Amino acid sequence: MPAILAIAVNDLRLLARDKAALFFTLFFPLGLAVFFGAIFGGGGGGSKLDVALVLEEDGPKARAFAEALSADSSLDVVRQTDAGTPLTRDEGETLVRKGAVSACVVVPKGFGGGIESIFAGGGIKLEGYVAPGRGAEAGLLTGKLNELAFRQMASGLSDPAEMTGMLDRARSSLGGDDSIPDENRRLLTDMFDRIGEVNKTFGGLNPGAAGGGDSAGSGGWMPVQVSLTELKDESDRPRSSWEVSFPQGVVWALMGCVTGFGVSMSGERSRGTLLRLSVAPISRGQLLLGKAAACFFACLAVQALLIALAAGVFGGLMGQFRVGNPLMLAAAMMVSAIGFTGLMMLLAGLTRTEGGASGLGRGLIIVLAMIGGGSIPLFLLPGWVQTVSSISPFKWATISIEGAIWRGFTWADCALPFGVLLGCGVLGFAIGASALKPAERA
Amino acid sequence: MIEWNAVSKSFGTVRALRDFSLRIGQGEVFGLLGPNGAGKSTAIGVCLGLVRPDSGTIAIAGMGSPDDPRTRRSIGAAPQAIALYDELSGRENLRYFGRLHGLGGSTLTRRVDQVLDEVGLLPRAKDRVLGYSGGMKRRLNLAAAIVHDPPILLLDEPTAGVDPQSRNNILDMCKALSQRGKTIVYTTHYMEEAARLCTRVGIIDHGALLATGTVAHLIAEHGGESVVTITRTDGTETRVATPDPVRHAAGLIGDATVQGLRIDRADLESVFLNLTGRSLRD
Repeated sequence: MPAILAIAVNDLRLLARDKAALFFTLFFPLGLAVFFGAIFGGGGGGSKLDVALVLEEDGPKARAFAEALSADSSLDVVRQTDAGTPLTRDEGETLVRKGAVSACVVVPKGFGGGIESIFAGGGIKLEGYVAPGRGAEAGLLTGKLNELAFRQMASGLSDPAEMTGMLDRARSSLGGDDSIPDENRRLLTDMFDRIGEVNKTFGGLNPGAAGGGDSAGSGGWMPVQVSLTELKDESDRPRSSWEVSFPQGVVWALMGCVTGFGVSMSGERSRGTLLRLSVAPISRGQLLLGKAAACFFACLAVQALLIALAAGVFGGLMGQFRVGNPLMLAAAMMVSAIGFTGLMMLLAGLTRTEGGASGLGRGLIIVLAMIGGGSIPLFLLPGWVQTVSSISPFKWATISIEGAIWRGFTWADCALPFGVLLGCGVLGFAIGASALKPAERA
Repeated sequence: MIEWNAVSKSFGTVRALRDFSLRIGQGEVFGLLGPNGAGKSTAIGVCLGLVRPDSGTIAIAGMGSPDDPRTRRSIGAAPQAIALYDELSGRENLRYFGRLHGLGGSTLTRRVDQVLDEVGLLPRAKDRVLGYSGGMKRRLNLAAAIVHDPPILLLDEPTAGVDPQSRNNILDMCKALSQRGKTIVYTTHYMEEAARLCTRVGIIDHGALLATGTVAHLIAEHGGESVVTITRTDGTETRVATPDPVRHAAGLIGDATVQGLRIDRADLESVFLNLTGRSLRD
C-alpha cells in the first residue's frame, strides 16, 4: 500500500509540475464551460420569469387578474396547452415538474367572490407551485401576485357601485351571524355606515393611498393570501445552459486527465524510469495500481472541482445550477473516473513514446470527446450522431453526470451508462496493463 | 554471489548472449568489458529479471529469483540511460526511489542526504534535474541505485558521456562502495576504468564471454608480448616483440645509431585485440 501511494503521489506531483497538462486538465475545461454557458444564454430564459396560469374561475374578476398578470413585463405567462385549451391545475403542475416553466399560478374558484366579500371575512386567495430550488423566483412571484391582487382589490374599492354592493353584503353577513357580540356588531355597523358615507362623498376608496399592499402587515387580517408549493423535480431538460456546459467541461477535464497521464506513462518508458520502477522491489500489480490511482484521483478531483464551482457560483449565487441527486452525482463521478482511468491505461499501453501518446490522445480521444457531447450537447446532436456516439465513453460520462444534475435519472436509468463506464475501465486497464511493460532490449 | 549458468538469449536474429556462464563472488568488483552491442546490458538485464533467458539460469546467492521483490531490494541498478524525473528535484527523485525500496521516515531523509553528499550534489539537492549538467545527472543516476544501501550493485556503463570531473567522482564512489564490501558488476568499454577499479574483468564480445581473470592475469595470458620500437639515425624503425622490454632496451644503451626507443606494454586493449581480432572501440 505505501508503494502504491508513493507512486500515485509522485504522479500527481508530476502532473502539478507540468503546466501544459495542468492547463488542459483544469483551466481549459473550466474556461470552456464558462464560455459555452455564457454564449448559450446562462440562465436560459433571459430575465423574464416563465409562469403557467390556471384559471379555475371564469368570472370577470378572474379574467381581469389574468390579463393583468399576462401584461406584466417581468413575467412570461403561459395560459394554454399546445393544443390551445386552457391549462388545468394538473397540467400546470406537470409543466413545473418537467421544468417547462418555473412556476404555476392557480386562480381558484371563488376568486371573484372573495374580492366582493372582502368586508365580510373574504379576501383574495391565490395558489401555485414552484420548481425546486427556485426560492428567489418564488419570492419574486409572491410579491408580484400580492401587488396585482391588491391592485385588483383597489379597483373594486374605487368603484362606488361595487363598493356599495360590498358594504351591503357585509351588513347582510353581519346580521346573519349570531356569534358576534353586540358591542362588536354595533362598532362594525357603525364602521360600514361611515365607509358608505365616504364612498358616496368621494366616489370610492383608495386603499393604496392608505398604505395597503402588504398582506403580512395587516394584523392578522389577510385580504390577499398567496400560497406557493415547492414541487419535486421531474425536469427532463436543463434549467440553464450552465447545467449543460459544466458537464461538457467535465468531459474535457476527463480528456485532459487521460491524455496527461497517458503521455506521462509513455514518458516513463521512453525516459527509462519505467525500467527503474520495474526493478524496484514492488510487484507489477502495485506499479500499475499506483499509476491508475493517480489518474483516478485526478479525474475525481477535477470533476468535483468543476461541479463545485458551478454549484457555488452559478447555483448558489445565481440560482441557475442545481444538482438533482447529489448521491447519484458522486456515483457518476466515481464510475467516470474508473472508466477514464481504464482509457488512460489503454492509451499508455498502446503507445511507445510520449509523442505517440500525445498524438493518439489529441487525435482519437478528442474525436471521441466531441461526438460524446464535449463540443455540442448530446441532446442537440442529430439522431445518427447520437447513435454513433455510443462508442464514446465520453457520452456515457456526460449522460451519467447530466442524469444526476437535470435529467432526473433513477438508479435504474443509471445502470446502462454506469455499466458501460465500469466495463470501459476494467477492459482498458486489462489491455493497457498487459501492454505496458519495459521492452526487452539487447 | 551471482551466477549466470549457460545463459543464452536472442532478440530476433541477434544472439545477445551465447552460453554465458560467470560466477561473481561476494565483495568483488567485476568489470564486464566489451564494445557496444557485445551483450553487457543483456547480461545485467537477466540479473535484474528484465530479460528472460531463452535457456540457462541465473542464481543470486542467498536470495530467490530476480522477479522476487525481496531479491530486488538487495540489488541496486544504475541503467545505462539516465532514468530520472526531470520535473523533480534531485532530492525528490531520491526520496521517491528510496520510498519504493521500502525506506521511510528519518531513515529515508538521512540516507538521501548522505547519498547526495557522496555524489557531490547536496548543494543542488533542491534544484530540478532539468537544470543539471550531463555529469550531474549521471551522478544522481548512480545515487538512485545506492539510496537503499543494497549489497549488490549492477552499474551499466555508469560513466557514459560524462566530463572528467564527474567520471572521477563516479569511480571514487565505486571504489568507496567496494571498500564497504559491496559486490559490484560494472560494465564499460573503457579499459582504463576496468583496470583502475576492478578486481576481476571479463571480456565479452558477440554475446560470448571470452575470458575472465584479474587484469594482470588477462594481460599475461592474452596480451601478448610487449613491443620495443627502435628508431635509428638513418630514419629506419624496428619493432621487436619481447617478454622483457626493459632488458631489451637496456641492451641498446651505448648504440650510437639508436635515436629513440618506445616501449608498448601489453594492456587490456591488446588482450581484446588478441581475443577478438578487432579493437575494443571498433
